[in-house]
Amino acid sequence: MNGFAPFMRALSAVVWKDLRAEWRSRELLSAMLVFALLVILIFNFALELESSVRANVTAGVLWVTFTFAGQLGLNRSMAVEKDRGCLDGLLLAPVDRAAIYLGKTLANWVFMLLVAVIVLPIYSVLYNTNLFIPGLLLTILLGSEGYVAVGTLLSSMAVQARTRDILLPILLFPVAIPVVIAAVKATGGYLQGLDITEILPWLNLLITYDVVFTAVAFMVFDSVVEE
Amino acid sequence: MNAKPKLLTVMDVIAGVMFVTAVALVFFYAPLERVMGLVQKVFYFHVASAWIGMLAFAVAAFYGVLYLVKKDARYDRVELAAVEIGIVFAFITIVTGSIWARPIWNAWWTWDPRLTTATVMELVYFAYLMLRSGIEEPERRARFGAVYAIIGFLSVPLTFFSIRLFRTIHPVVIGSNDPGAEGAFDMTPKMTQTFMFSLLTFTVGFVTLLWHRVRLGALSDKVEQLKLKLQS
Amino acid sequence: MEGPANTLSYFIAGYGVIFGVLAFYIGSLIVRWRNLKQDETMLAELEKKEQAE
Repeated sequence: MNGFAPFMRALSAVVWKDLRAEWRSRELLSAMLVFALLVILIFNFALELESSVRANVTAGVLWVTFTFAGQLGLNRSMAVEKDRGCLDGLLLAPVDRAAIYLGKTLANWVFMLLVAVIVLPIYSVLYNTNLFIPGLLLTILLGSEGYVAVGTLLSSMAVQARTRDILLPILLFPVAIPVVIAAVKATGGYLQGLDITEILPWLNLLITYDVVFTAVAFMVFDSVVEE
Repeated sequence: MNAKPKLLTVMDVIAGVMFVTAVALVFFYAPLERVMGLVQKVFYFHVASAWIGMLAFAVAAFYGVLYLVKKDARYDRVELAAVEIGIVFAFITIVTGSIWARPIWNAWWTWDPRLTTATVMELVYFAYLMLRSGIEEPERRARFGAVYAIIGFLSVPLTFFSIRLFRTIHPVVIGSNDPGAEGAFDMTPKMTQTFMFSLLTFTVGFVTLLWHRVRLGALSDKVEQLKLKLQS
Repeated sequence: MEGPANTLSYFIAGYGVIFGVLAFYIGSLIVRWRNLKQDETMLAELEKKEQAE
């Protein structure tokens, strides 16, 4: 129970279970993707995103899309576990709960990154902007990690509540504000080609958030799933 | 828990007397500020409320940790009580700040880090109450509440820091949003005395209110248990 | 140098809000306490009756 090798085995088992189940049904990813594209479509009309898209608007649109699609995915991935009784099964298994938390977080992270991988080129083509800047990809990596780290913890609470469908965004968005601000500003900075010294504070903020919240969620997850 | 403790009655009296004294100090003792006039006097209770808001949420997070370690329902009651009182004082802070800002900044609202953080904080704790109200089982409600009180409290400094960074890099829209620049004033000794006394008064008042609210929580738990017992 | 700005109405509004909100909160504490006390006595009576039967 408390060795490194069994921990890693449990962790990879949880991740693989999620990814394989998703590979078979594809319902989560397809929902997130269609939703993300719809959000971009709505923004197109709401903000009149003409070819002369300003860099800061692009950053905002991208992150609103990611956070909304991510929220959808987080909610669904936990609700499925709960409804099919998988969560109880997982909890009965003699593995460290922290491994379950990390596994779910990793799987959710992968889903969010997959959405980004598909949305970014589409956005690039639609608005004729180059989004393939290494720093921007790093920002997405860091920003989505912080978001799913908190989101996985909060969604495992939300699905156990009576008001579960509406609860997750209300719980998640106010505490995710630092991530969204930092990610939007860093993304905007890269798109405008700002100097790295102006972007660095935002990246530092993202890293701080990621470390603090992953660590805290890791520690308290046990009390969220305890029966 | 049935009989009201004598100490609590004593604290009621002390808090009441102190509050009246603080109001008298603010109204009659503190001098009129040269530029802003009377509205500057809102400042004493505004800052005191902000301090109590922060203190209350810190207390809630602290008792959240204690609850997760000890799993004692008493800690959960203190945590919920502190959150509720924190929401009340954070609300007072936001509204009085807004009233002060209207004549001084010429706007009810600016997206200043402090104002924005206070609002986000208020939303975090509304979410806390909604989370609790969505769960029937008391023990689970307490656990989830504790977790969210901790997560929410940790996010507050990061929110403040991120918005401040946002503002310093960006040009400011309406005047200077930093009260250090606009609407600042030097405190005379009488002002400092009034200010310190207000802080002390609100702290005593907070402890008294917290105690009352904890007793209310205990009574509510007792009634809930009685109901469950009768149903079975 | 002109004198202090006339901000009396904002001053009144500010302290009105502070007193109002505090009074409302303390009032809500009292009302909730009373209601719970009523519930408690009622439930205690019910329990007694049940035991008598």
